[in-house]
Amino acid sequence: MSTTPVLSVAGLTTGFGANQILHGVDLTLVSGRAAVLLGLNGAGKSVTLKTISGLQPAWGGSVHLYDRELTRLEPEDRVRAGLGHVLQAKAVFPELSVAENLRLGGAILRDAKRFNDNLARVHDIYPLLADRAKQLAGSLSGGERAMLSVARALMADPRLLLIDEPSAGLSPKMVEQLGGTLRRVREGGTGLLMVEQNVGFGLELADDVFVLEKGRVVYTDTAARLDTSRVAELLGIGQLLGQSKGSGNAGARRRPARRRGVPVRSAAAAARKART
Amino acid sequence: MSAKTRVPVWLLATVVCAALPPILGRAGVWGFDQYHALILCFGVTYALAALPLNLLIGYAGQISLGHAAFLGIGAYSSGIIAGRLGLPFTLGLVVAAAVGALAALVIGLPALRLRGLYLALVTLGFGLAMASMVFRLRSVTGGYAGQAVPRPQAGTFVFLRNADLLAVIVVIFGLVWALDRNLLRTKVGRGFLALREDEEVAAAFGVDVPLYKLYAFALYGALSAIAGSVFGHVVGFAQQESFTFDLSLLFVVIVLIGGLRSRPGVATAAFFFGVTPRFFTFLKGWELIIAPAIVMFTLVRHPGGLGQTFGELRGLRTRKVATHEDDDEAETSSASLVLPRPAGEGVERRGTTPLEVRDVTVRFGGLVTVDSASLTVEAGQITGLIGPNGAGKSTLFNAISGFVRPTKGRVLLHGTDVTDAPPHRRAALGIGRTFQNIGLVKDLTVTENLLLAQHRLAGYGPLTALVHLPAVGKGERALRDRADETLHALHFERFATSELRELSHGQQRIVELAAALLTAPGVLLLDEPSAGMSPAAAEALAERLLQVRDELGQTILLIEHHLPLVLATCSTVHVMDAGRMLTSGAPADVTADPSVVAAYLGERVA
Amino acid sequence: MTDVVVAGIAAGAVYGLFALGLVLVYKATKILNFAQAEIGSFATFVAWGLITSWKLPWLVGAAGGVLVAGALGLAFERLVVRPLIDAPRLTLVVATIGMGLLLAGLEFKIWGASPHIMPSPFRGSGLTLGSVTLPPARLLALAITAVAAAASAWFFRRTTFGLAILAAAQDVVGVRLTGIRLRHLSAFTWLSSSVVGAIAGIVIALSLGAFAPTFLNGIMLLGFAAAVLGGMTSLPGALVGGIVVGVTQAVVSHYWISVAGLVETVMFAAIVAVLLFRPRGLMGRTA
Repeated sequence: MSTTPVLSVAGLTTGFGANQILHGVDLTLVSGRAAVLLGLNGAGKSVTLKTISGLQPAWGGSVHLYDRELTRLEPEDRVRAGLGHVLQAKAVFPELSVAENLRLGGAILRDAKRFNDNLARVHDIYPLLADRAKQLAGSLSGGERAMLSVARALMADPRLLLIDEPSAGLSPKMVEQLGGTLRRVREGGTGLLMVEQNVGFGLELADDVFVLEKGRVVYTDTAARLDTSRVAELLGIGQLLGQSKGSGNAGARRRPARRRGVPVRSAAAAARKART
Repeated sequence: MSAKTRVPVWLLATVVCAALPPILGRAGVWGFDQYHALILCFGVTYALAALPLNLLIGYAGQISLGHAAFLGIGAYSSGIIAGRLGLPFTLGLVVAAAVGALAALVIGLPALRLRGLYLALVTLGFGLAMASMVFRLRSVTGGYAGQAVPRPQAGTFVFLRNADLLAVIVVIFGLVWALDRNLLRTKVGRGFLALREDEEVAAAFGVDVPLYKLYAFALYGALSAIAGSVFGHVVGFAQQESFTFDLSLLFVVIVLIGGLRSRPGVATAAFFFGVTPRFFTFLKGWELIIAPAIVMFTLVRHPGGLGQTFGELRGLRTRKVATHEDDDEAETSSASLVLPRPAGEGVERRGTTPLEVRDVTVRFGGLVTVDSASLTVEAGQITGLIGPNGAGKSTLFNAISGFVRPTKGRVLLHGTDVTDAPPHRRAALGIGRTFQNIGLVKDLTVTENLLLAQHRLAGYGPLTALVHLPAVGKGERALRDRADETLHALHFERFATSELRELSHGQQRIVELAAALLTAPGVLLLDEPSAGMSPAAAEALAERLLQVRDELGQTILLIEHHLPLVLATCSTVHVMDAGRMLTSGAPADVTADPSVVAAYLGERVA
Repeated sequence: MTDVVVAGIAAGAVYGLFALGLVLVYKATKILNFAQAEIGSFATFVAWGLITSWKLPWLVGAAGGVLVAGALGLAFERLVVRPLIDAPRLTLVVATIGMGLLLAGLEFKIWGASPHIMPSPFRGSGLTLGSVTLPPARLLALAITAVAAAASAWFFRRTTFGLAILAAAQDVVGVRLTGIRLRHLSAFTWLSSSVVGAIAGIVIALSLGAFAPTFLNGIMLLGFAAAVLGGMTSLPGALVGGIVVGVTQAVVSHYWISVAGLVETVMFAAIVAVLLFRPRGLMGRTA
């Protein structure tokens, strides 16, 4: 295993129009490890993945896949370089069959042999896809679609796989099953970077944890050494682990600062009244 | 407002432009003769015809590829009334407007179910059917020969001279311009613009979306028919060949090149298209190549069209307001959400439970997003709804506010069963809400948004809005006063005329909250109000929500991820997980509950 | 009755071809290509010019026309469609209207407004089946449509690139993430749409005998109806829809010839009914 990280992100910034979302994201990932990106809504997790894969143009900073700089490349070229990205909402092509979806996944492979090898590997990890080869992807259940979307990305044999909220909308049983398959992917040597809202699932699967807040990584550590209460705090759910921030005196009536019920007159309205 | 004390510009311009041609024509000044006057007639008529299409597409966000059909309706109506029946031409205009409005409902009704391309196809088909069938019916329209449309007549004076006709056309144009202008300054115009941007936001503010869509089409039909009438009078006859698909397409091009929503831009572009082919006949067909090339170039390079150019010339775009993160903090701590309540609101609600949700289930396809959820919101309290992502909280909100139909269960608002009521009806009954991505119209200014928020309190109907009766002016003033007071309370006076999109996210959120509170809703639903805010700003927000509760007795139900906010404000908290209600109780108890911890952090941590 | 229906099928085959081009563009861009008619018309004029003025063999002239149409489609995609990829759909629609007007203007300027006769490469009067005689142009139309149907069936389902075109209509970002270049897909879409329109135009000109600028406008509208009937997103549906439109037109204009414009009105009613009650048409899979 090489010592160059499969993914190196340094000082990544981006945004929409006048709105800056990422304010300098740094993270590294070594191949064969899985990392999870946690954070509140709006922290920039999905945007980070999209900037790494090129769907979102970066304003500054750099993205490297091993030694290769990807920062200026189009998403299609990054995929050809060995990057895979599974978007939210179990992205499959609903009107195409399972087999056709997988075929598109391997579109960039020149070699029929490589294609067949990858297909075999994918069928090994996800046997149900072999059974459902002719079925329309849109008629699969949520969990099956999630598996198909990962399988499709695996067809191109990526070195690095980005996955956005794999557990979204899945039943707990499906989530567990999916987790098992992702472990096998990781064992195959592919680096995994996931965004997750399901903190439990993320922590269980990941080797490394990154917490994002307002477009910056504010905490990172390996899963083994993780300070869970710190993470919970950053996610605004510190209360669940007994952190007391603010009194437990919730909702008690406070002494009103002004007279109750009487509308407050603004200066403008008062002036207008004076004029009439 | 200035309109009261000064003569409006449009009135002045109309009078001058109407008076000039007859004078010039008779005096023969500058070689101004019948020919030039006729060209100008075409120009102004094109401009007149373009305004209603701009209203339909630019304001109300609908589409019509059958514009020529409505022009034809107007021309034939006038032909029949003034020509065949010999009645006054003004009656012809009225009849044309009525027929046009009715005909527009033929495409307006499908518009309630269809949008975008599919609606366009319906309008296209309508135009086709009219042109090929109705306009060829010998009994109605004189078949291929067409229908003669005589010059207008006032008593014994016939407007035979083109210059005199031009005066009449200018007057009609001025009136339609004024009507269009009035519309924009009232709740109808704002309703249309809201319709265009986001139907859900419009409905949440009480805009009756189906009614307004139909109204937009009816207005479009009436005004287009009037323009068609004028066409008929100018040309002298109405013929099926004049009202073809190509003409419809041309007007769509005109509206886009003029710049959607820009009245001056669209009128100018139309005038140009009406005048040039007749004026530049020496171009001998080159204009058929140059003009489309210019059109395509404009669309790619200068998509805002003439409207954008005019705006740039007036320096509108250069107005940028500073929006920094620090600014955000200062703002959010000094703004006050304690706003004056409109008179008479809320009196009948006392004593009833503001909100009751009974066993609501929501199913999307095969997926159950909300499973038999129940909750009660007590008056004058802040109630929280929390749970991990995907728990179904937003879906439940949508079911309460009317954007999603529950498969089972009931929603009761102040004791009234609203489960089957559309969103605008629930708004009228007292539900206010915010949205995750800011439930305001980004294209409107801050003030206009605050006016839109008071839609259901406007105090005048959509028809009187056209004529701007004193009642309308009075109603608007009341709305405007309240909007000004709101801006003052928020310390946002400097943003009064800024477009909403120019404000930072945090500032937009504040405006949204104020807008929702303006109409004294019985229950206010807040969808993740602290999203995107720093912890300090969230703290300030908590303070403000408590103020609103204490000073105004406002009942609030809020979805939140930020637990400190929930702890600081809520007296009761409901927890949802995987579509079900997990537990309810006081915040301190709920957050200590191990099943809740497990729902959020997984079994391992709990 | 049979001969009416058969004539309708033959005519409908061409409408279907036209609709195929429309559906291709719709799937990729979610708009209707209002330039389709005029591209076909322009191609017909070029073919005519090559055959009559340059005295090239008929097939070569026709191929030349088709090539020019393809080039126009590619140029339009590069210069107009791509910059407008994120613009509101109405803007792109109006751009296609503009393109159509531009080509019409060029036709008027270069070749004039009076009708031209399209020379026929055929000898003989066609095929007679029972009471029906199908002129050679109609036979050609049927043959070409059959070939187009078979070719697209093979291409879109059997080749990876074809699958990618279908996929792009469902999830364009997903296609990009498979490494297939979006601009190749986009260029191909407009190229094939123009080519199909050109072939349809030349065949129609042959059937009509004479043609003039904007002669395909009426057909374009029938093509829209065909596309809607077939379900705007279905390629085979476009062909089937075309046949339905063709037969309807033949039947209505044969039996109710005195009522002007009945065909168009029937089409309008049909479009509204389909869009309101069964938006996925005869063969589309999702609304």
